[in-house]
Amino acid sequence: MEMLSRLIHNYFYLAAIILFVIGMHTMLTHSNMVKKVIAMNIMDTSVFLLFVAIGYVRGGKPPIIDGIGETLYVNPLPGALILTGIVVAVSISAYALSLIIKIQRAYGTVDCDEICQIRGDE
Amino acid sequence: MALAEHLPALIVITPLSCAFMAPLLYRRHALASGYMVLLSLLITLVMSALLLLKVNREGPLSYQMGNWSPPWGIEYLADPLRLYMLVVVIAVSLWVFFYALKDLEHELRREVIGWYYTLYLLLVASMAAMTMTNDLFNLFVLMEICAISSCAIITIKQDRECLEAGFKYLILSAMGTGCYLLGIAMLYMVTGHLNFEYLQNELSTAVAIYPLNVFTAAALFIVAFGTKAALFPLHVWLPDAHASAPSPSSAMLSGLVIKIYAFSLFLILYQVFPRSLLDSLPLSEIVLWLAALGVMFGSIYAMMQKDLKKMLAYSSIGQIAIIFMGIGLDQRLALVGGLYHIAVHAVTKGMLFMAAGAIIYATGVRKISDLAGIGRAMPLVLAAFTIGSASMIGIPGTGGLISKWYLALGALEIGRSLFVLVVLSSSLLNAIYYLPIVINAFMSEEDFAHKVNEVPKMLQLALVIGMIFIVVAGVFPRPLILLLGEAVANFF
Amino acid sequence: MAEKTVVAIQIIIVLFPIIMAPVIMYSNRISDKLRNGLSVLTAAFTFVLTMTLYPFIKNGGVVQHSLFEIIPNLEISIRLDLLSFSLASLASFVWLLATPYSLAYMSKEHACGRYYPVLIFTLGSCQGIFFAGDLFSLFVFFELMSIIAYILVIHEQTEEALKAGYKYLVMTIIGGLALFFGMIIIFELGGTVSLGVGPIIQEESVLGLVAFICFLIGFGMKAGMFPLHVWLPDAHPVAPSPASALLSGIMLKTGAYGLIRVVFFVYSFQLLHAFDWDDILAVLAVITILLGSAVALTQTDIKRRLAYSSISQMGYVLLGLSIFNTNAITGAIFHIFSHAFMKSALFLAAGSIIWKTGKRNIADLRGIGHQMPITMGCFALAALSMIGIPPLSGFLSKWTLALGALDVGMPGFVLVLLISSLLNALYYLPIIIPAFFELPGELTIKHHGDVHHEPRIKIEEAAPLMLLAIVLLASCTLFFGLTPNNIAYGLSRLTAAFLLGGGGL
Repeated sequence: MEMLSRLIHNYFYLAAIILFVIGMHTMLTHSNMVKKVIAMNIMDTSVFLLFVAIGYVRGGKPPIIDGIGETLYVNPLPGALILTGIVVAVSISAYALSLIIKIQRAYGTVDCDEICQIRGDE
Repeated sequence: MALAEHLPALIVITPLSCAFMAPLLYRRHALASGYMVLLSLLITLVMSALLLLKVNREGPLSYQMGNWSPPWGIEYLADPLRLYMLVVVIAVSLWVFFYALKDLEHELRREVIGWYYTLYLLLVASMAAMTMTNDLFNLFVLMEICAISSCAIITIKQDRECLEAGFKYLILSAMGTGCYLLGIAMLYMVTGHLNFEYLQNELSTAVAIYPLNVFTAAALFIVAFGTKAALFPLHVWLPDAHASAPSPSSAMLSGLVIKIYAFSLFLILYQVFPRSLLDSLPLSEIVLWLAALGVMFGSIYAMMQKDLKKMLAYSSIGQIAIIFMGIGLDQRLALVGGLYHIAVHAVTKGMLFMAAGAIIYATGVRKISDLAGIGRAMPLVLAAFTIGSASMIGIPGTGGLISKWYLALGALEIGRSLFVLVVLSSSLLNAIYYLPIVINAFMSEEDFAHKVNEVPKMLQLALVIGMIFIVVAGVFPRPLILLLGEAVANFF
Repeated sequence: MAEKTVVAIQIIIVLFPIIMAPVIMYSNRISDKLRNGLSVLTAAFTFVLTMTLYPFIKNGGVVQHSLFEIIPNLEISIRLDLLSFSLASLASFVWLLATPYSLAYMSKEHACGRYYPVLIFTLGSCQGIFFAGDLFSLFVFFELMSIIAYILVIHEQTEEALKAGYKYLVMTIIGGLALFFGMIIIFELGGTVSLGVGPIIQEESVLGLVAFICFLIGFGMKAGMFPLHVWLPDAHPVAPSPASALLSGIMLKTGAYGLIRVVFFVYSFQLLHAFDWDDILAVLAVITILLGSAVALTQTDIKRRLAYSSISQMGYVLLGLSIFNTNAITGAIFHIFSHAFMKSALFLAAGSIIWKTGKRNIADLRGIGHQMPITMGCFALAALSMIGIPPLSGFLSKWTLALGALDVGMPGFVLVLLISSLLNALYYLPIIIPAFFELPGELTIKHHGDVHHEPRIKIEEAAPLMLLAIVLLASCTLFFGLTPNNIAYGLSRLTAAFLLGGGGL
């Protein structure tokens, strides 16, 4: 019971982990390269979600100090980190997509299994 | 002097800034661009060496990026251990680049060489920073830079094989970084820190309250770095990627890139996780067994290869496992052996890939069975290959013997003779697949059947430097060993 | 002689040939004569230098000197004592004879530019083994010699040679790994691998036994000990004859030398004796003796027969080593000397026959004694010595060995020696007797006529340089057997006393 209540209390962890597993599963099992890239983004996003959720403080204000004696702020650090993370993830996706285009030109397909077949035939 | 204080930053910034100048200069003056890259690496090497000397004299140095003090700012730590790795990274990069200058003209289209320089320097800069950073999140960013640039120096060749291998590498490495990021999140959740030192302090109490988080993080880290460093059984991407890449890229990837991840895992295991956790969890035990399997399987797979570069790539799986064994044995001497093997194997495998590259350059032959009699046609290249093989086997006088000595001694010290046998059998297996190539190359009755073009002087010089490195590593290892011995002493 | 001079001389003895090897390789481009001259000069110089150490040794001098540290507690060091001197002088002597022999022999062979540098390099590394002051240096030179000698083995580059060479190389690497393992255990147990600190292992332990077995594997492999001898009968015969003489005559002994060092300097022999670890050695030695002789009987190729004979003869040395008393050890060490002379003489003589006539098959050698009387005479002398006919040196070593066995009340060993001698006779006499008392195969038809007349056989001896080496070696077997107070026997006796006395510590 206690376990369950903890889970419900921390539902955002659960959401993040589910997303992460979906992403990882798709990435490793699907043979379509574009789907792999999408899955990669889902996986990264799940971690970003988790990070941002960690930083949130219930009832906290945005961390902008305006001189009025507020004491409770949301932790700004995860937000800053995740911004960096998003930039990195976008660049990886861009690179991966450009590779897919090249691969499509070289093999005529974006399916890993088919490529394996083509290379096996050579 | 003010500049001297900023050495850790300058070491990263120099290659980084040159990375963006190189292609611009390349359009105007190709040769000058190459020499500028060489010069920047040389300057970086000098700075790293100076920093190492300084740290050796005055003790570890903490550098705060932008003067933001930890735990919020990014801290770069320069202690002898990290600087050892740094010097290895820069020195090997410089040496490989020396080779790349001439070899690339042969392997790449002319207009992309300038861009290759960019990627190369980005890779060097990210690895240099990875050795020094003391911040988990910064490490993540650097790992991504490293991943993109190391994929890109494979796919820049743009033939079908490279593209496919590069994509496979990219996806698996993205999975690795995903796991790593989740691991960071787990640790951040319970400690609120990203700095190694603060994490370690916090973790010793946090383990008791949130054991699950910490354990998950540890498991995720092993998977993440295991994938990136090709620890068996997460090695599937490596053979294609390393074998199909242009030779200088193969030398860099097999020589340095996989090792930098092994080194990072080592830093995290020993500098982030508190000692008590390491003793209570079988983390090192897992690494150790995976490594032992990797040693055997890497060598066995290598034996079955017909393509020279593929064989070298599989052999890397076995050798990186030797390094992981040094980490996994969790013993001072074994650790020294493993860390020493990082340098030895970086040079050895780099040189073997260079020799393979020189063979391809001059003759276009890639198949092992076609190499009969090649030793008489290209004596210097094959001499380099022979010395490299000797170091792989661990013949006295080469660096390979010293690292194996320490690994075996460490394993024996904690009474695990089984792993001594693993180390020894790795030598034997290496002998079984390297020696026939050497023998066949020199002693075969038939003459080499293909046309042999001349190998440029630069390539030959690079090989000679490599041979000297290996022999020096085997005969005068004492200062390095002493440095490593002192550096790892405080982990135990 | 001051200790410093001795160390300097030793370093020169080891390094000079190693440095000369590339010089000789280079001189090959200038002229063949220069190359040959340099090779012989190097061998001669090494021999002379080695002999200059004799006065120092005679006074019972022992030198142990550390040169430089490779890694903490592991160093390259140099040692000179009776044992190292005995073997080093022997090695340089045989090299001195084999090198000029090569000049004549190799004139018909290809790739001399490779052969001579390698020959001289192995001399240097061989001396390095004998002068090594700790196990690590010994291991380094041992590996160096073994791997370089590979080039000698496969010199002919035929498919057979390459196959034998590959077997040799793989076995060498396995042996090297075993040595490496043993050395690490010793280092772990004792904290040092120096040969100058007295027995390192004083207490019985499982690891100690494992290390002992590792050494047996590593050094026994080189010495052709059963069951690790498999490479030897393939590798020795395919090499050019002077190289086979060196492989069988000297390089086999490095294995025995290593075992002596292990038995007396790494372990204390009392320990080995107390826990019966020496029995392993004794049993293997007996099997080696009998097996080597028995298989030699079945060989038809003369060089293969000689190679198997080497296996059985090395068994004597190992047997002597497993009995810890003065006579047995003296016998073992003296047998190293006498076997080096005998086997080198035999291989060189066989080489001359092959060189001159191209006959390798024993059945074809009938009447060869008429054609090459001096060569075959020396062959006969050495073979008789091998059988143990007095007053040849083989007899003296067997006699001393037998005395040693009787001293510890082991008549069984004497029996083994006798059986083996009998077997030796069985496979050597069928070479010698037909060689002298029958006529060459192509001439026998004339016998069928009623008129019995001796056909004239033209004497066609091998080149003078070859004869010189063979005659010198054969007369050594005679000389060292005839005079029991000779230098070799005296050295062996001194060495045995020295070893049993704790190695001069």
